[in-house]
Amino acid sequence: MTLEFLLASAIGVLVAGGIYLSLRARTFQVVLGLTLFSYAVNLFLFASGRLTINRPPILQKGVTEYADPLPQALVLTAIVITFGMTALAVVLSLRSFLETGSDQVDGNECAGDEDEGPDLNAGPRA
Amino acid sequence: MSIASHFAIAPVVIPALAAPFALLVMRRRRWLGVGISFASCAAMLAVALLLLRAASDGTIRTYELGEWPAPFGIVLVVDRLAAIMLTLAATLSLIALLHAVIARSDRKGWHFHPMFQFQLMGLNGAFLTGDLFNLFVFFEVLLIASYGLMLHGQGPARLKAGVQYVIVNIVGSSLFLIALGLLYALTGTLNMADMGLRVAEIPIADQGLLRVAALLLASVFALKAAIVPLHLWLPRTYAVSTPAVAALFAIMTKVGVYAMIRVIPQIFGDDAGAAAWVPAPYLLPAAMLTAIVGFGGVFVARELSEQAAYAVIGSTGTLMIAVAGWQPDTLGAAIYYLVHSTLAGATLFLVADAVARRRASYADRATPGPLFQDRQLVAVLFMGAAIAATGLPPLSGFIGKLLILRSVADVPSWGWAWGTILGTTLIGVIGFARTGSAIFWNETEASARAQLPQVSRADLLAPAIALALLAALSIGAGPVTDYGHAAARQALDSASTARAVLGGH
Amino acid sequence: MALELTLYTLVFLPFLAALLITTVSARSMAWHSGLAASGSALGLAIVLSLAGRVLDGEVLGISAPWVPALGLDFSLMVDPLGLLFALMILGIGLLVVIFGHFYLAPSEATGRFFASLMLFQGAMLGIAISGNVLLLLVFWELTSLSSFLLIGFWKHKAEARQGARMALAVTGGGGLVLIAGMVLLGSVAGSFDLATILQRADIVQASPLYPVMLILILIGCFTKSAQFPFHFWLPHAMAAPTPVSAYLHSATMVKAGVFLLARFWPVLSGTELYTAIVSSVGLITMLFGAWVALFRHDLKSILAYSTISQLGLLVMLLGFSIKMAAVGAVLHIINHAAFKAALFMSAGIVDHETGTRDIRKLGGLGKVMPVTALVATLAAASMAGLPPLGGFISKEMMLDETLHVGLFGQPWLVPIVATLAAALSVAYSLRFAAHLFFGKPRDAQAHAKAHDPAAGMWGSPAFLVALAVLLGLIPMTLVGPLVTAAASAVLGETAPPLGLALWHGVNPALGMSVVAVAAGTLIVWQHSRVLRAYEGLRHLDAKHLFEQTLSIADKRVRKLIVAIHAPSLQRMLLAAFAVVVLFIAEGAVRGSGSLTGTRAGQPASVMAIVAWGLLIAATVAVVLEHRQRFLVLVYVSVIGLVIALAFVHLSAPDLALTQISVEVVTILLLLLALNLLPKRPPQLSGNGRRLRDAALALLGGFGVGGAAWAMLTRPANNPISGYHVANSYTGGGGTNIVNVTLVDFRGFDTLGEIIVLGIAGLAIYALLDTAARGAAGARLGTWQEDMPHSPERHPMMFVMATRILLPLVLAAGIYIFLRGHNQPGGGFIAALVIAIAFLLQYLASGFDWTDARRKVGEHLLIASGVLVAVATGLGSLVFGANFLTSSFGYFHVPLVGEVELATAMLFDVGVLCVVFGAVMQALAQLSHIAQRAARAHAANLAVRQEDGK
Repeated sequence: MTLEFLLASAIGVLVAGGIYLSLRARTFQVVLGLTLFSYAVNLFLFASGRLTINRPPILQKGVTEYADPLPQALVLTAIVITFGMTALAVVLSLRSFLETGSDQVDGNECAGDEDEGPDLNAGPRA
Repeated sequence: MSIASHFAIAPVVIPALAAPFALLVMRRRRWLGVGISFASCAAMLAVALLLLRAASDGTIRTYELGEWPAPFGIVLVVDRLAAIMLTLAATLSLIALLHAVIARSDRKGWHFHPMFQFQLMGLNGAFLTGDLFNLFVFFEVLLIASYGLMLHGQGPARLKAGVQYVIVNIVGSSLFLIALGLLYALTGTLNMADMGLRVAEIPIADQGLLRVAALLLASVFALKAAIVPLHLWLPRTYAVSTPAVAALFAIMTKVGVYAMIRVIPQIFGDDAGAAAWVPAPYLLPAAMLTAIVGFGGVFVARELSEQAAYAVIGSTGTLMIAVAGWQPDTLGAAIYYLVHSTLAGATLFLVADAVARRRASYADRATPGPLFQDRQLVAVLFMGAAIAATGLPPLSGFIGKLLILRSVADVPSWGWAWGTILGTTLIGVIGFARTGSAIFWNETEASARAQLPQVSRADLLAPAIALALLAALSIGAGPVTDYGHAAARQALDSASTARAVLGGH
Repeated sequence: MALELTLYTLVFLPFLAALLITTVSARSMAWHSGLAASGSALGLAIVLSLAGRVLDGEVLGISAPWVPALGLDFSLMVDPLGLLFALMILGIGLLVVIFGHFYLAPSEATGRFFASLMLFQGAMLGIAISGNVLLLLVFWELTSLSSFLLIGFWKHKAEARQGARMALAVTGGGGLVLIAGMVLLGSVAGSFDLATILQRADIVQASPLYPVMLILILIGCFTKSAQFPFHFWLPHAMAAPTPVSAYLHSATMVKAGVFLLARFWPVLSGTELYTAIVSSVGLITMLFGAWVALFRHDLKSILAYSTISQLGLLVMLLGFSIKMAAVGAVLHIINHAAFKAALFMSAGIVDHETGTRDIRKLGGLGKVMPVTALVATLAAASMAGLPPLGGFISKEMMLDETLHVGLFGQPWLVPIVATLAAALSVAYSLRFAAHLFFGKPRDAQAHAKAHDPAAGMWGSPAFLVALAVLLGLIPMTLVGPLVTAAASAVLGETAPPLGLALWHGVNPALGMSVVAVAAGTLIVWQHSRVLRAYEGLRHLDAKHLFEQTLSIADKRVRKLIVAIHAPSLQRMLLAAFAVVVLFIAEGAVRGSGSLTGTRAGQPASVMAIVAWGLLIAATVAVVLEHRQRFLVLVYVSVIGLVIALAFVHLSAPDLALTQISVEVVTILLLLLALNLLPKRPPQLSGNGRRLRDAALALLGGFGVGGAAWAMLTRPANNPISGYHVANSYTGGGGTNIVNVTLVDFRGFDTLGEIIVLGIAGLAIYALLDTAARGAAGARLGTWQEDMPHSPERHPMMFVMATRILLPLVLAAGIYIFLRGHNQPGGGFIAALVIAIAFLLQYLASGFDWTDARRKVGEHLLIASGVLVAVATGLGSLVFGANFLTSSFGYFHVPLVGEVELATAMLFDVGVLCVVFGAVMQALAQLSHIAQRAARAHAANLAVRQEDGK
C-alpha cells in the first residue's frame, strides 16, 4: 500500500461519513458531519502539494528539496477559517435550540408555519 | 509612488479600519460609530468612482500586495467590471445604511455597524482580487459577516433560517476548497490569469480532472448566486433578515454571478481543452428554471418581503440567461441588468419594510388592512419598485430586458430564452398587481378602526433614493450600457488581462 | 432647434402637468382640472401650429440618441397619421377633462385622477408620434400602466380592482408579446428607426421569421384593441369613471392597436397570412361585439361592446390590404372617436342625473333632459350609420370595400357578414336612443330629479356631436385633406383620390345599408323576443373565468412553491451534494484519461497503515455511534489526532501544531455546547432515506477520494511555490517558509483569515449575550444536568494545577510566537495555546473567578488586533511601498539570543490578538451560559430537596 492510497482512501471515507452525517435531522449530527467533511477537505487541499516525507519546508543549510510549502499555508488558513465557521455554527445551533426548543433541521417540527399562507382577504395575524 | 497608485487597496482597507474603530466606540458613543460607518461608505463610494473613471480608458490596473510579483504574491486587478461592482456595492451600502439608521434597526442588536463594514470589506475584496484562493478568503469574510448581519435582531425565525444559511454555505466553502486543491495540483498556481495560461499546457490525460474542478467551482458560485436547484436557502433567509440587511444582500447573489463572469472566461476559456466553457451547457436551462421559480414565487407570495426574496431569485435567473451566452453582447446586457436588478431588489425590501412599519399586526402581508399612514406615498414607491423589478418602462429594468432579448437572439435556443423572460415578466406583473392592490387599494371596514403606529416619513427616503437611481440608470442608459459592454469585452479578453496582470513575468 | 424644442415640449407637457397636479394634490379640484385642461389645450395648440407643415407633406422628425447599444433613440416623428392621432388625443382629452371636472365630486381624489389622466395622455401621445419602435414600446407599456391606475380609480370597489388587474394582465401581457414581435421586426429590418423600417417591406416579408413576428405583433394589437378573443377585458374596464371610459376606452387607447396596424401597414400588410388573420379577426369581432351589445342592459356595457364591434370594423378594413379600405379606416377612426366619446359622456350624464345606468329602468328621458337626448340620439344615429351623419359615409365605404375581398375564396362571405353586423349596430344604436329617451318612463324614482345638467357638462358631448354632423354634411372641407394625408401616410404612397359625400348614387353599398337599417329596426321592434332567445343560450363570464383561472393557478403554484422551499436543511444539502456527485461523475466520464496517473507512489510504513486503520475505524465509529454523544467526541478527537500525526509524518510541522491546538479548542467547544443540547435520542429517519443518504455519501466519498487519488498520482506542474522557497529568507527574512508565506507572501489572506475569526467571535458574543433572556433564558432555567457530577464544583487539585500552569503556558506561548518566523509556530498557534491555558482556568475555577481577573475585554482584543494588522500593512505605504510590504532586521536580545524583528511579526501580533480574542470570546461566552445553566440546575435540585423534606 502506498501513502497516496492511504490518504486518498482516508479522504474518501471522511467525505462519505461527513455527507451521511450532515444529512441527518439534528444540528449536532450535522455539525459532526461538517467536522468530518472539513477534515477531508483540509487533507485534500494539503494533498494538492503531493506527499513528501522528512522534508519540512524550513530552510536548512545544504537542503534543496522541500515539501511544497504553499498548500501547507493554504491549509493552515483553511483550518483557521473552518474553525471560526464551525464555532459559529455550533453556537448558532445551540442558540437556535434554546430559542425555539427544537434542534431539528429537517423542517418537520415547523410544519405548522408552512400552510397555504393567509389568503388575500384574511384578517390580521393573531 | 503617488498615493493615487494605492487607490486599489482602499476599498478593502477603509472598511477594515472603520469596522474595528466603530467596534471600539460603539459601546460608549453610538453616534460616533454611526458617523464612522457613514464616512467609510462615503469614502468607499468616492474611491470607487475614482477607480471607475480610471478604468474607463480600458487600462487594467494591478496592485501587487507586499510588492511580491504576480503570480507569486497576491495581486489586485482593477478593470472596468471590478470598478462597476465596487461602485454598485458602495452605492447600495449607503442606501442600506441610511435605512438601517432611519428605521433604527441598527440598534436592535450588537455590532451592526462593524459587521456592516466587514461585509463591505469582504465584498470589495472579492471584486478586486486576482487570486483564486484570496477570492475564497474574501468569500469567507463576506459570508461570516453576512451571518452576523442576517442574525441581527435575532428571534426564532431568524435563528432557524440562520442555521440553514450558515451550514449550507459552510458546505459551499468546503467545495470551493476541493476545487482549489484540484486546480493548484493541476496548474501549480493560484493567480487566475496565470492559471488561465497554464490550463493550456495541461495534457489530455489530466483534463478530466480539470473539468471536475471547473464544474465544482461553477456550482459553488451557483450556490452563492442561488441558481436552481441550489437556491433553496435564499427565500427564507432574505425574507426574515432585517430589511436594511436584506437590501444589502441584494448584491450577495450577484457576487456569485460576478465570480462566474470573472473566473470562467479567465481560466476556463477556449484554451481549457475538455474544460473549455464547461458549465455553459448547464447554465442556460438552470437560469431559465431559476427565472421561472423566482417569478412563480413572486406570483404567489403572501408577504412583500417574501415576494422581494423571490424577485431576487427571478432576477438572477434572467441575469444568468444573458450570462450563459458568453458573448460580448450578452455579457454587456447582463452587466447592465446586474446593476439594475441589484438596486431593484433592494428597493423592494425597503418598501416592504415601509409597509410593515405602518400596518402594525398586518405587517407586509398581502391582505386588506386598515387605511394606514401615507398610503398614497408608499403606494407610489411600491409601484415604482414593482415596475423596476418586473422590467417595465420607464425604469431601467425595461432597457435591461430589451438588451437581454436582443443579445440572446443569436444563441441557438433563443426562443426558449425569450419565452421565459417575457412569460416570467407577465406573471411577475400579475403577482405585484395583486399584492399591491390588496395592500394599497383594498381596505376592510372592520380593520379600519385598528390602532396603527405613528411612523415618521423619513423611512421613505432610502427607497425613494433607490428609485431615483433606477430612473437615472434608465435616463443615462446610453453611457452606462457603453461602459457595460466595454467591461464585458474586457472580461472576455483573458489574454490582455493576463498580459496586464503578469506583465514581464 | 426650434422644432426640437416644440416636439419635446409637446411630448413632455402632459407628464409635466401630471407632476404639477401631484404637487398641488392637496388643493381643490379646480387646480387639478385647470392644470390638466391648460396642459391639453397648450398641447393642442402646438399640434395645430404644426398641422399646416405636416399637411403640406413635410414629416417633422427629431432624434436624440438614448441607448445606442440597443438601437433605442429618443426620436419623434410627426406625419399626418401621427398628427391625426395627436389631434384626437389632445382634443378629446381637453373635452374629457372639462367633462370630468363637472362629473367628479370635489370630495374625490381628483388630484390623483387628473394626474393619472395626464400620465395616460402623455403615454398615448408618445405612441402616436414616436419615431423609434423601441420608444413606441416604452409608451405602449406606459398606457397599460396608467390605464391600470385609472380603471382602479374607485379602489374601494372590488370590480374596479379586478377590472384594473384584468386589463393590466391582458394589455400588459399583449404588450410583452408585442415587444418580442417588434424586436424581431427591428432585428430583421436592421433598424429600429420607424421611417427606415417602413422602407424595408421586401426584406421583412421575405424573412423566414415574418410569420412569427407578424403573429406576435398582431397579438399585441388585438389585445390592446380588444379584438376577439382578447376582448373580454374591455367591458370590465368600464368600472372606471365615465370620463376615463370616454377617453381611453373609446377614443384613444383602444385605438392604439388599430394605430399600430395602420402604422405598419406598408411593412406587414399585403400577404396572404396578414389578410386572412387580420380581416377575419376583425370580421368576427365586429359581428360578435354588435351581437352582444344588443343584449346588454348597462349603458356603458352596451357602449363597450359596440366599441369592440366598431374596432373590429376598423381592424377588418385594415386587414383587407386594399388601399381604399385603409382610407375608409382612417375616416372611420375620426367618426368613431367623435360619436363614441359623445355617447359615453351622455351615458355618464344619464347616470349622473338618474343614478342608474340600467337601460331597463330608464326611458322617456327625452322630455326631462331634451339637450342630452338630442346629443345622444344624433351620436347614436352616426354610430348606426344613418345619413346625414359622418358614420354613414364611412360605413358606406366599408360596405363597398367588402365587395372587393374574397376571404377564403368566398366572395359572398364578407359582404353578408358585414351587412349582418351593420344591421346589428343599427339595432343596438337604435335601442340605445329609443329605450333611453323615448317611450314612457319605466322607473319613476329614476326620473324623480332627472334634468339636463349644466352646460359645462353637456358642452363636451355637444361639441363632438356637432363634429359628427359636420362630418356628414361637409366631410371634404372638414377633414378631406387630413384624411387624404393620413391615408397616404398609412399607405406609404399617395392615397387614391377621395370623394367624400353623402350621396354616391344607387350602388350595392347603398342597398346593403338599406337592408341593414330595415333589419336593425325590425330587431329593435322585436327586441324582447330576441332577448329571450339570447338569454336562452348559455354564456361564459370572462371575468369570472379569468379570476377563477388566476386563483386556481395561484393555489396550485403556491402549493408547489411551498413544497419545493420547505425549510429543510437536509433538502438543501441533498441538492448541493447531488449536484457535486453528478458533476464529478460528468467530468470523469467526459474528460479522457485514466484515473491513476504516472507519478510513482511512496511505500507506506507500518505505522502509517496502523494510523490509517485507526482513522477509518474512528470515522466509522462516529457515523455508527453518533447517538453516543460524548463518546463520539472522543472518536472525533482521535481522527484529529491521527491527521495531526499525518501532518508530522508528511513534513508539515506547522500544520500538525495548528491541527492539535484547533482540535483541543473545537472539542472543548463541542463539549460545552453538547452539554446544553437536548438529551433525547434523535428519532431515526426512515430506512429509505437512510439508504438514499448512504448511497449519496458513498458516491461522494468515491468521487472526492478518486479525485484525490488521481491528483496524488500525477506529477506536480512546477508550482509557483518554488519562488517562495527561494525568496523566503532573502525576501521574507524567515526560514519557516510556511510562516513567511502566511505573514508575508500571502499576508493578505491571513488578514482576511483573522478577520473571519474576529467576526466569528463578535457574532458568537451577539448570539450568546441574549441567551439568558426570553424563551432561551426560560429554557436555560429548566436545564437538567445529565451526567453524574463530582459534588465538589471546583476540585482543589485541578484548580491548583491550572493556577501553576497558567504562567508556564503563557511563557510557552510567547516562545512559540517568537520562534514562529523561523521554526514551526507563530501568532496563531501561540494564541491558541494561551487561550487553552485560560480556558482551563474557566473549567477549574469557574467563570466568575476568571472573569474578575481578566483585564482586557475580547472586543478590545479583536478590534485592536485587526487595527494592528491593518496598520502594519499601511505602514509600508509611508515608505512608498505597497500595502503589506515587509521589512526586517536582526537584533541581539540577552537570554533569548539572536532575535529577528520583522514588520511581519508586528502583523503576527495582530494575528495573535484577534485569534486569542475570538477564541476566548467563544469559549468564555459558552462556558458562561453553561455556568448559568448549572446554577439553575443546582437551584432546582435544592428546591426539589426542600419539597422532599
